[in-house]
Amino acid sequence: MNDALRTVGHDDEDKEAAGTVSAKDVVMRYGNIMALDHLSMEIPTGIVGLLGPNGAGKSTFIKAVLGLVEPQGGTITVGGLDSKQNVLIIRDRVGYMPEHDCLVEVMTGVELVSYYGMISGMSKNDSIPRSHEVLDFVGIGEERYRPISSYSTGMKQRVKLAQAIVHDPDLLFLDEPTNGMDPLGREEMLDLIERIAAGHKSILVSSHILQDMERVCEHVIIINNGRAVAQGSLKNLLGAQEGRMKLVARGIPEDLASFIKYLEREQKVISTSEEHGQVTVVLILRGPSGEIFAAAKNAGVQVRSLTSDLSTLEEVFIRSV
Amino acid sequence: MGLDPIRYKPWKGQRTEHAKRFLVITDHVFRQKLRSKWLLGIIILGSILVWVFPILIFSLSPHDSLTTEMMLETLQNDVLFIFVLIAASLVCADLISEDLRGNSLVLYLYRALRPERYLLGKVLGALLVMSLFTLIPPIALGIAVTATQTGPDYLASAEVIARTVLAAVLTTIFFVPMGMMLSSLTTKRTYAAVGIFMFFFTMTIVAGIFSESDINWQLLGPGNLLNFWYDVIFGEPLPEGLSSAGMAIMTFILLVPPLIVTYWRILSKGVGK
Repeated sequence: MNDALRTVGHDDEDKEAAGTVSAKDVVMRYGNIMALDHLSMEIPTGIVGLLGPNGAGKSTFIKAVLGLVEPQGGTITVGGLDSKQNVLIIRDRVGYMPEHDCLVEVMTGVELVSYYGMISGMSKNDSIPRSHEVLDFVGIGEERYRPISSYSTGMKQRVKLAQAIVHDPDLLFLDEPTNGMDPLGREEMLDLIERIAAGHKSILVSSHILQDMERVCEHVIIINNGRAVAQGSLKNLLGAQEGRMKLVARGIPEDLASFIKYLEREQKVISTSEEHGQVTVVLILRGPSGEIFAAAKNAGVQVRSLTSDLSTLEEVFIRSV
Repeated sequence: MGLDPIRYKPWKGQRTEHAKRFLVITDHVFRQKLRSKWLLGIIILGSILVWVFPILIFSLSPHDSLTTEMMLETLQNDVLFIFVLIAASLVCADLISEDLRGNSLVLYLYRALRPERYLLGKVLGALLVMSLFTLIPPIALGIAVTATQTGPDYLASAEVIARTVLAAVLTTIFFVPMGMMLSSLTTKRTYAAVGIFMFFFTMTIVAGIFSESDINWQLLGPGNLLNFWYDVIFGEPLPEGLSSAGMAIMTFILLVPPLIVTYWRILSKGVGK
């Protein structure tokens, strides 16, 4: 097939494969600075969170996938295509919503979206109805006929999303998509991301708002110093420390103190807190839980609950970096 | 505002060729520029002063055929130089600077559009707009004078028209590369517009000051340089002592390095953000 004329429209299996990204041993240096240090990661279909402190290498990785920078080593493939050899074909399959302001303010919303649709290879006849369709989807109404300079931050974010999806990419990079949005707008943006992902797309979301990431992401990749320090499904990452439990107990202070001493001796205690005669202990079990109940009975302490304790994404992030 | 519960719909269509997508930019630049009242004003006023009067005068006065003198008299007019310079400043000023100011360069370059094609799209757009003032009217002048000639030698007139096309193409191209470069060096279109005008104006002043000592100093003046090229194109002799190599070098300096600098700026800014 002529690579310049690619028919868009795959069955679901093709779609699943088209947006996956695989990076192996990618090295990228800017002078003495190592931006990507033998980075390896797999981005499956679905919503994937890309986390990392500032300067960790997130943007460099995105640029490397887009072919805007050429890594000195390693390979990146998008949907099985090498990012160095098939730059233009890959870019046709990619949508990108940058973090910073990037809209042409003198244009109206519909002009801008259809213009970038045409630059992505849509004919004029296709791009205009498609622009209206995606602007309806992102929730821009009659405002689409006003110059972008008159838009609020939330509306600009929606137009940025619209220009990224107008050409129906298989892989979508969203950089801080909820930046500057009010709580309702944020919820709506996350809802839109989920709806796009339902169409078998790979969506890589980079954000510092970890609650948002926890809310929408199925997979998470944490980058630090140019390396992927943690990656996997969100469920696995949050429950990564097997046997992590939260114990709530009540009793008179002396009994509670001796019980806590027992726990510290026999189990791995992570934290202890006390409020109104009730202690909460986060620990990692080293044996059967029955021993804890027996020890509590001997100490005269009433165990109110012993439940598994999942980490928050914030805790996983801080632990990883 | 709120969201309607609309499902995301895929797009099923056929993409255009990668190599032709720069034409979208060209078309966009052309349409945007035609919306500028200032630019339209300059083109209309300039056309009346520079082209309409000669068309009327040369067509209505008795003439055997279109002559090189008629075309040279019109093309080597200082008023034309001033209007072309103003038009180039207005056309080129925001072509790159606005994309740098709004960071929209990244929205072009992450798509399947190479930086050189982005630049080509912008340059062609600028040339298309400039041609409304510098290419179409001189051809119209040539055709109008030929159509009203009394003599039988249409071949001689056609030859002059062909030379006119060449001269007009040069006029169209002449200011655009430097305009693009200055536009790529700033994020403010006003700075770019004033910069373009002042660059060529200053060069003209400097050329005027030093040309007393040596005629080759005249080559620094873009208006003089263009006039010398018109002489060459219409087969007229160059002034004595004028260096042809110097002419070629000056022309090269005004046309090629500015485009290389512009390309480099696009490349570095496109990746930098």
